[in-house]
Amino acid sequence: MDPVQAPGVYQGAANVIAAVMLLIEFGMLRQALARDQVRLYMAQSALISVLAIVIAADRNLPDLYALAALSAALKVVAVPLVLRRLLARTGGDEEEPLGAGEEPLGVAGSHTLSPASAVLAGIVLAAFGFFCFGAMGIKGPAAPATALAIAGAMVLVAFGLMIVRRDVASQAIGFFSLENAISLAALVVAAGLPLILETAFLFDLLVAVVVFAMLIRTHHSRAESLSTADLTRLRG
Amino acid sequence: MSAALPIPLIQLLQVLTIAVGAPGITGVIAKVEARLQGRRGPKIRQPYYDLAKLFRKEALAPEGASWFFLAAPLIAVAAYLTIPLLIPVLTSYGLPLGYMGDILGGGFLLSLASFVVATAALETGSPYAQLGSSRAKTFSAITEPVVLFVVFTVALLTGTDLPYALAATVRSSAGQIIRPAHLLAAAALFMVILHETGRIPVETHTGTNEFGMIEEARSFEHSGPFFALLKWGSELKQLILYTILANVFLAPWGLASTQRAGAIGLAIVALLAKATAIGCVVAVIDNSFAKLRLFKITEFVSGAFLLAVLGVFTLYLGGG
Repeated sequence: MDPVQAPGVYQGAANVIAAVMLLIEFGMLRQALARDQVRLYMAQSALISVLAIVIAADRNLPDLYALAALSAALKVVAVPLVLRRLLARTGGDEEEPLGAGEEPLGVAGSHTLSPASAVLAGIVLAAFGFFCFGAMGIKGPAAPATALAIAGAMVLVAFGLMIVRRDVASQAIGFFSLENAISLAALVVAAGLPLILETAFLFDLLVAVVVFAMLIRTHHSRAESLSTADLTRLRG
Repeated sequence: MSAALPIPLIQLLQVLTIAVGAPGITGVIAKVEARLQGRRGPKIRQPYYDLAKLFRKEALAPEGASWFFLAAPLIAVAAYLTIPLLIPVLTSYGLPLGYMGDILGGGFLLSLASFVVATAALETGSPYAQLGSSRAKTFSAITEPVVLFVVFTVALLTGTDLPYALAATVRSSAGQIIRPAHLLAAAALFMVILHETGRIPVETHTGTNEFGMIEEARSFEHSGPFFALLKWGSELKQLILYTILANVFLAPWGLASTQRAGAIGLAIVALLAKATAIGCVVAVIDNSFAKLRLFKITEFVSGAFLLAVLGVFTLYLGGG
């Protein structure tokens, strides 16, 4: 059997960053506290800026530096700030002792699967996404195929995160990290896209943040918890 | 210019380095850990004194235990002393006996040692020793897939499953180091090593609480020289695993490429330095995390499994 050749330092670095972003996604999947999830989201967003810088340096695309700075300002600073204030107001991490048969209020008890099973399910999803994207064989000028496939896996794992957690905060973070996955795919496939388009995509995220902020606050004011367990019952 | 050493002597030196260095590395970790906690800590030579003391003591076996109870520590140490022949301890070129077994061969020897110790613990009738061996076998069954995927990664990276080949591949270019498959496999292996050497977050190394014990509990009924062999065995296992991590995965530099005495001597120093560095990292981890609850260990292992599986995945699209 022949060894798999090394992809070179640039592609290797891009793939490593993509792989670490996917690992962070898995970290969110098993993390119990909302503030830790926000911290992981910050790390993931910081990595995508680093990736933009790596691509900019290697492919000689100066406008990617601007994109990296903008994306860092937005996703590493602004969005986590909004999320934290929102969680502080709704008490997302307050762990109250549960009585018998009581539903957990916040984020901490919202796992529907045990963390180990969630990770195994995530691995299956990631494998599916990974090999689907791999089979498509998209080749861009700056595209390490593996990084693109990892982005595909991340999209599915982010969906998984939104499915297995029963609280609005995790679902919001799952959605934002889904956006991170799509930015990763966009960076990898179309790094040469005009800056204005990339920026426009970034501002889509702001819309999502506003929508989710509204959703979290409305849900919290109605149900007095972040848990979505109440929504399963049908009521007139 | 120093004289060239004969090959058999180098091969013997590989075993001796591991055999003599292992208690020292344990001593260093204990010392670093104590310093980090603000204690003065035991002497670095303490594990040697312990072994010397135990070797002079009387050996007793519980009533009803068969000959296997006393043979097990000997078999385990023999297995541990065979592994250094198979892995690159001092030289970057394969020694003649280095090709009698591949990574799986080394893995078999490690499991054989752990199996005989667990079986000997079952002979005793002591509940804690039996609990320990039952837990050790359960958890080693769930770490086995991780090890397998790490081996797959090595096989895909090099086209062989010889540890020497992977070390040579890693040395060959920077692109071989900055590739996700290599980094993920190394990280997964490190987590497995934390598990196998009974460190936090899986097991407290210095604890006396039997309920939290996994591997430590297995040697409860052994005494005297046999207990000394078991202790020495676990120290050997630790240094062997550190050697595999350092000389095959993370830093296969500083190995002797010739047979000269100077180069070999330098390689011994380099190996001990690398093992000490890994030991310091382990000591920091020991001090910064809490022990996981027994049933949370599956989560730790699932994390390692994730790393190893992703490593294999990335290789499939040619980008790993």
